[in-house]
Amino acid sequence: MSKQLGFLHNSEKCVGCRGCEMACKNEYQIDATPQWRKVFQLREEDFSLPTRMFFSMACNHCAHPECLRVCPVEAYTKRDDGIVVHDPNRCIGCRLCTMACPYDRPQFNPVKKKVEKCNLCYQRIDKGEKPACVAACILGALELVEINDSLDQKTGVLKTLPGLPSPKITTPSIRFIGPKQGKQIRRD
Amino acid sequence: MGDWEWPLILFTVLGQVAIGIILMLWWLDRDRDRNHLDNLLFKRGVYVSGTLLALALLASLLHLGHPEAAYRALTHLGTSWLSREILLFLLTFLAWIYLFWQSRQQTSRHTPGSGTSTITTAEIAAAEQQTGNRSLGLGLTSVLGLLGIVSSAMIYVLPRVPAWNNVGPVLFFLLTTGLLGALCTLVLGANLLQAAQKKTLLQWSLGCTIVSLLIYLIYGSMLSVSLEGATSLNFLLSSPLFWIRAVLGWFAPLLLLVSILKNPQIDKNNLIFTVTFLAGLGEVLGRALFYLSATGIHITALF
Repeated sequence: MSKQLGFLHNSEKCVGCRGCEMACKNEYQIDATPQWRKVFQLREEDFSLPTRMFFSMACNHCAHPECLRVCPVEAYTKRDDGIVVHDPNRCIGCRLCTMACPYDRPQFNPVKKKVEKCNLCYQRIDKGEKPACVAACILGALELVEINDSLDQKTGVLKTLPGLPSPKITTPSIRFIGPKQGKQIRRD
Repeated sequence: MGDWEWPLILFTVLGQVAIGIILMLWWLDRDRDRNHLDNLLFKRGVYVSGTLLALALLASLLHLGHPEAAYRALTHLGTSWLSREILLFLLTFLAWIYLFWQSRQQTSRHTPGSGTSTITTAEIAAAEQQTGNRSLGLGLTSVLGLLGIVSSAMIYVLPRVPAWNNVGPVLFFLLTTGLLGALCTLVLGANLLQAAQKKTLLQWSLGCTIVSLLIYLIYGSMLSVSLEGATSLNFLLSSPLFWIRAVLGWFAPLLLLVSILKNPQIDKNNLIFTVTFLAGLGEVLGRALFYLSATGIHITALF
């Protein structure tokens, strides 16, 4: 694998509009139940001051994907650019990947009786386009980036946020720019 | 929390009973000098274990969204324990077919010495060859089956699920094999097992029950280390099913097995049947709880 593509999510910019969710649904005409991309709201109690912030998450195209390891039919493959691709034609719907992923991102489609997930719009990337969710984000909160040491060394770039599973399990290819805490001013 | 995974409950428990019976027959067959494994018990054991194994494999298909493509599950042996499990169970079934063939050979062949006053050397050699083949078949099926059971358990050793990410699943699955295998062999051989063989199987069953209870106590105390493990533990302790499982699968068999072993005069066969029924129910409930209580590490943010 020559590089690792992933997402950079800026919680400071994200307003929780769910445009990325809808762009994903529109691009792939996903059935109602599975949500390849989902917007989460950070819990206020996870911060010292009241904070209303969001993050958006699809498959994290992990460096050590559990879905790929446990799948008995080799439905998952990891491309040279690090994208973890799921082939629905190989999937037999055993759901083991849904049990193994700490982010619940491979999702079982009860109509098709197969698992589905985000493939990072690899067909768009191959054409030099941005993934649908990234292109649709009106505030530029979601970016496609290369995950590497230089990104991790930048100030303010985080590997995880409160409320997320430890990145040690699968080494997810997502980074965050965390929410800035508001100031609380007492009038007395 | 997990769901009632009936296909998986049936697959794992029935498969483990089937392999447990073969394992016990192999064990009994090894002690040929003192206690001979009855031919009829061998045949019964082979037929029952084969039926259970076939039912288990059929039940496993019901778990899949696309059972017609189940053959593809053999394609990722490199890292997937599920692929390895399927391969090993299929090999176990092939080994069982060899056992079945052996059991048919025993019916068709002439019993040494029957109908004649003398036993010829050729008859003795043929009988020894037959016993050797039977033992080979039992051993091969047992080893492949045990490897299949370990693979089954390893499927659940997932870093995402702290309650499973330990040696617990392997021990639980092997103990079910040992306990139900011995008890079902006792039921099948109610009138065919010798007293010493019955005693050995009863002691083995008692040992499995005690070890199972002790391991569960240690396992339970370890669960509270992580948040998700503690959630699993709380679910178990607050579930009436768990306490029914404890009574049926541990306490009742423990008392009954001790009383059978201590009182040689009592009607053993009826009590053995009762213990097998209760322990079987206990193990099915235990397996259901195994799936129901699974709590995975997950995103705790709101959505």
